[in-house]
Amino acid sequence: MSSVIWYLYEFARKSWAEKFANARTDQEIMETPSRFRDFPQVRKEYCIACGACTAACPAPMAIKLVRTSDNSHEEGITYPIINTRGCIRCGFCAEVCPTDPKTLLCGENHLIREKFTILPVDKMFVIDDYLCIRCKKCIKTCSEIAGAISEVDKKPVIDQSKCIGCGECIKNCPVKGAIKGIFIENVEEQKAIINMVVDTLEARIEADQDKIMELEPEEIYKIDFPTQELVDEARKIIPNDELIRDSIEKVTDRLKMRIVTWDDEKCTNCRLCVGECPSGAITYDKEKGVQRNPDKCLRCSICYQTCPFGVAGFYVARFLLTETALEDGVIKITVKPSQLPIGVD
Amino acid sequence: MLDSLKDIIRKSSIHACLVSTGGCNGCDIEVVALLSPRYDLEQYGIYFHNNPREADVILIAGAVTEQWREKLQRIYAKAPEPKVVVAIGNCPLSGDVFNQEGSSVYAPVSDFIPVDAEVSGCPPRPSEILAAILAVGPDAIAAKGRQAKGDQKAQPSEKAEGEEKK
Repeated sequence: MSSVIWYLYEFARKSWAEKFANARTDQEIMETPSRFRDFPQVRKEYCIACGACTAACPAPMAIKLVRTSDNSHEEGITYPIINTRGCIRCGFCAEVCPTDPKTLLCGENHLIREKFTILPVDKMFVIDDYLCIRCKKCIKTCSEIAGAISEVDKKPVIDQSKCIGCGECIKNCPVKGAIKGIFIENVEEQKAIINMVVDTLEARIEADQDKIMELEPEEIYKIDFPTQELVDEARKIIPNDELIRDSIEKVTDRLKMRIVTWDDEKCTNCRLCVGECPSGAITYDKEKGVQRNPDKCLRCSICYQTCPFGVAGFYVARFLLTETALEDGVIKITVKPSQLPIGVD
Repeated sequence: MLDSLKDIIRKSSIHACLVSTGGCNGCDIEVVALLSPRYDLEQYGIYFHNNPREADVILIAGAVTEQWREKLQRIYAKAPEPKVVVAIGNCPLSGDVFNQEGSSVYAPVSDFIPVDAEVSGCPPRPSEILAAILAVGPDAIAAKGRQAKGDQKAQPSEKAEGEEKK
């Protein structure tokens, strides 16, 4: 009985009754916190129509590149649009967006830059987690020198503040490319060299367009390209042989160049490709017929997949730099018809 | 007399039924978060069942899989009038990541049953789900009930749904 009276007394207290009557969710809980990664924001004026966001997007129908139509004094601009009914707010599109400032903003992750201390050397060493085979040879080597590489989560990790940039880890690494020495200075010059190398190689391949167009589906076309010309050009940009060699080697190592050929004789001016081209590189003119502008072309292969007459050809070129001195090295180029299906939407 | 009493009762509470038609269960977990003390769904007069026969609001989460196509329509038929359907997350709207070429999902849900409100997101925040449920009910449910009787005064429902649909 006494406990019942105690409960009645407890419930009759003013503070209890007030709290009971005014119980509601805290406003803070109902509000979306600022750290919440919402749908991506699009800033169309920065877009360069590279298509990286559409390739990175894991959800079909979430992101699409669109182009506004050209008018008399201005060309149409290309930009991505986000379909909120498909978008899963993962932020991958913002992460891969290469423009600066970013065209796509989504959360904060993609804005975080890795910190490293500026070293008395011009190289920063990084481990490519994808290629690393976890043999720990680099850890063993480094423990005798600087002790900068340690094992975190079963992976070797370089502590940038301890690294002295001696390069011993690269010499002992059994996998090519698993540890990379990146030049952290002269970034603009490196960009210029890379652009120059890629442009020269592409021009060389396109000079042989007639032979490439005759290739059978499984056939490979080979070109040997001496590096002398490239090295001379690169020395005009920056006279640093080590950097030039490094840049050329990295370009040829990972470059998978897409080659689009154009056979005007086969064209029937059906204009199927004109509407499909995402960058507006293909245009139609009553006098000249359908024209392709290689400077605007993204090499996306849509025209190759669209054209029913085989006007556009699509090939993939790969490169290999022979291991010799800088001047008399040879870049071996192989060109192969792409295995993409034709006529698939 | 009885109808007006029904309207008053419908305006004060919502019974919801969650139907997960084959998604990743992320949205279901967000609904469970709504039931938790943090969001406390029941203070808004919303009560959760897993029984469509008692439901005013049917919450659909998930891209429609092969087995769910007919069952979904049966569940919709079982719910008593007036009923409101809320699609939670991107799966019922577009199929989301499951709607790849060659997969057997039959999104969107609106191909099978009429959808009154949509919440996009993968998954949506619990507060967004709550806002959607509150936007369609209880006024819309009450108005729908009047509509079913042939009364044309039921305009507020359109407004509430229109806001959420966009």
